[in-house]
Amino acid sequence: MKIPRLLQAVGVIVGIYAGFVLVFDYLLGQVIPSSLLSMYMFFVIAGVFMVYTFTEESARELVAPIKALVEDPSKKRIRNVVFILIPLLVAGFTYQRMSPSFEAPVELRSIHPAPPATVKAYGKRYDLATLKNPFRKYEKAKPEKFRELVREGGDIYIQNCQYCHGDKLDGRGPYAAGLNPTPLNFQDVGTIAQLQESFLFWRIATGGPGLPKEAAPWISSMPVWQDFLTEEEIWKVILFLYDYTGRRPRSWEHE
Amino acid sequence: MRTLLAIAAALLVVTNVWAKPGDVDMGKAVYDQRCIWCHGVEGDGDSAATEWLNPPPRDFSSAQYKIKTTGFDDIVPNDEDIYRMIAKGMPGTAMPGWDDILSEQEIWDLTAYIKTFGGLEEETPSQQVDYGTPVPSSPESIARGQELFLDGERCSECHGEDGKGDSIKGLKDDNGERTWPRNLTKPWTFRGSNDSKDIYSRISVGIPGTQMPSFADPTSKKKLSTEERWHIANYVQSLAKIDEVVRAENTVVKADKLEGDLPAAVDDPRWQQTEASTFFLIPQMIGEERFFKPSNDTITVRALYSDNEIALLLEWDDRTRSIPGDEKAEKISDPEIAEDAVAIQLPIHIPDGMEKPYFGMGDAANTVNIWHWASGTTEKPESVALLNSRGFGEIERREPAQVRIQATGRYEKGTWRVLMKRPLLTSPADQDIQFLEGEFIPIAFAAWDGSNSETGSRHTLTTWYWLLLKPASGNKPLITALLMAFLIAGLLFWWARGASSPKERSQDGNG
Ligand code: HEC
Ligand code: HEC
Ligand code: HEC
Repeated sequence: MKIPRLLQAVGVIVGIYAGFVLVFDYLLGQVIPSSLLSMYMFFVIAGVFMVYTFTEESARELVAPIKALVEDPSKKRIRNVVFILIPLLVAGFTYQRMSPSFEAPVELRSIHPAPPATVKAYGKRYDLATLKNPFRKYEKAKPEKFRELVREGGDIYIQNCQYCHGDKLDGRGPYAAGLNPTPLNFQDVGTIAQLQESFLFWRIATGGPGLPKEAAPWISSMPVWQDFLTEEEIWKVILFLYDYTGRRPRSWEHE
Repeated sequence: MRTLLAIAAALLVVTNVWAKPGDVDMGKAVYDQRCIWCHGVEGDGDSAATEWLNPPPRDFSSAQYKIKTTGFDDIVPNDEDIYRMIAKGMPGTAMPGWDDILSEQEIWDLTAYIKTFGGLEEETPSQQVDYGTPVPSSPESIARGQELFLDGERCSECHGEDGKGDSIKGLKDDNGERTWPRNLTKPWTFRGSNDSKDIYSRISVGIPGTQMPSFADPTSKKKLSTEERWHIANYVQSLAKIDEVVRAENTVVKADKLEGDLPAAVDDPRWQQTEASTFFLIPQMIGEERFFKPSNDTITVRALYSDNEIALLLEWDDRTRSIPGDEKAEKISDPEIAEDAVAIQLPIHIPDGMEKPYFGMGDAANTVNIWHWASGTTEKPESVALLNSRGFGEIERREPAQVRIQATGRYEKGTWRVLMKRPLLTSPADQDIQFLEGEFIPIAFAAWDGSNSETGSRHTLTTWYWLLLKPASGNKPLITALLMAFLIAGLLFWWARGASSPKERSQDGNG
């Protein structure tokens, strides 16, 4: 059976809409802001309309069912129903749109913004492209010493970081529920496994306020650790983060 | 007597069948990876974290377990008790539940290993909690429970008349660490759970190592029969606050508009008709002197506004009314007592775009207003201060009367309620927030428990939320919607008439 072209067009539009909602709200777990969705849907509808009215014939085919509905006396009853339903729908939609919504404004922020080329901390300038963890070399050279350093990093972590990032490093520390944005989950493949140690050094030393504007530094509760920890302590805690989660820092050399 | 023994023996056999054998060596491997950070390599609770946590990590060498279901005078816990605490964790403490990353077998192995620290590996419990005949919850049972709860201050002595943990005593556990009686209206902080059977177990066994006593102990003057314990358990369960809990999706304090004057008192009945928003308070650990052992955990906010004023009601459970200079208050306080206090933080301008001031007291480019209320001492009454802050070190004290900020608080049965008021607009307008209808205004809160040595930067806080003066929408939406409907309907019928007219008309003409 051939599906009327009008139905096809409507089907495609509804399908894409459902797709957006499915991907964003359910798969990514990030509710798509309605303003963004409206914009996408505008382009989708315009696009579908263009495709379906590309030739004169296809355009005629598309509107045929509508024409029939209005002109064919045998469809009078359906027509009356449709003609009552449409104004009602419009009224409902308008009412909903005009009534004030008390939903909080959506704040889109970049979770992993591009790092600056150089970072100022501890009264010095660090070049992030060449900055390395001074303790990483012991992993192969002196495994015993390395274990010791990881252990010290763990103590620093449990004293300073677990409140937010959790003692399982899963971003669910005892106070995480009171924070927005939530502390990052280091077990997740999307965080430290994607990052270089120098990036972590930047984030830990300068904290939330060190972020660029696109990452909304004003709401991040990540403390500025150069105020509380020494440079060495930060490198040690970084060793611990990777060791405990079993992840590897990203490094350009191996790629 | 003999039947009792038989039952106890039967119970023992049953529990031993449940317990899966754990492997001590396997347990040690997991322990050394996951648990040493808090409980220490030797299991004695001595670790880098000890001094930073309240309650501190358990010292397993003491062989004392808080949440257990064996007899009150039997120190040995059931393996299931230990298993459960490892798997599910202890809410309200740093001890998390591990069952999301450890297997069942690993947790049994840990259980076996942990027991060795206190020399419990060969021990089996000799008594179990006697549950008698459970009494299902009912209004009668709850009423009876309340009587028993208050009778001779059986429970209220520590947990307060309304169960909010507003004790009249300063409590320390066996190691001299400050302990707070549980706020029984907040079941999400129970180490066990607020299932009535769990509460029954705690009342029967007590919480070893703390002041929470056993009420099954026949030598106790306050002892309770099994039936009475069920009544109290049902009562405690009924105390759970349901309207003032944190709902993560609610980030907006919505102020309703009132005609005429706003409430001038914290107990004005009109407050109860407004929507309450409750937020978590977290300890301040981002700047200056950091703070890690808070006692306040949530704050509830309501707001109302009129043509020219706004009023906010802040409500939070605080176990102690802290009055410097007052002998009784000083006795239950930590050595240094300070006033209780609360603060509201607002940007001085409603932000144009996304950018707000830094949530920790603003930043160099973005000033915040802070309205800070303090509860007063024996010498001075409650007071309110107005601060304009540009970061921790950049605080300017201003005169609150200049912009007509008023604040008044009242403490009752473990709860502070503080009302703050200000005109919507001020002049000049550039130093203070101007409250505009329908705009989302960032707002944050902070609280100080003066009996928990909270002063200055040692306090609890929230991050940014929103305040919205709900615009009165009137009937504009309804009228517009109706107009649109008529317009569309008119167009449609005009179209239909036009389209069908030739044929129909000719038919009409024929007939
Ligand atoms: C008060 C809560 C808090 C504490 C304490 C805290 N953090 Fe954070 N941290 C956060 C939050 C919230 C974020 C996410 C927002 C952001 O990126 O700034 C974050 C982000 C991070 C990131 C960025 C990860 C990524 O994938 O980009 C790192 C690394 C980090 N924290 C490390 C640490 C370390 C190490 C400590 C202890 C020395 C620590 N944090 C303590 C709250 C905290
Ligand atoms: C972030 C620190 C931390 C880590 C890591 C931690 N615990 Fe705990 N644990 C605590 C604290 C704090 C308490 C005490 C809570 C209290 O007294 O109310 C506790 C208590 C306990 C208790 C006592 C339960 C009771 O009924 O008294 C057991 C058992 C326990 N932990 C086992 C473990 C095991 C096993 C691990 C490793 C898998 C572990 N803990 C890891 C902080 C921690
Ligand atoms: C002498 C003081 C004192 C008395 C009397 C007392 N309690 Fe407690 N209670 C405490 C303390 C202290 C705690 C918290 C212990 C801790 O640190 O875990 C507590 C905790 C609790 C808990 C929390 C259990 C959990 O899973 O976290 C419940 C429920 C409770 N008490 C009920 C009662 C009831 C019911 C009574 C009267 C029959 C009572 N208490 C009498 C001091 C007391």
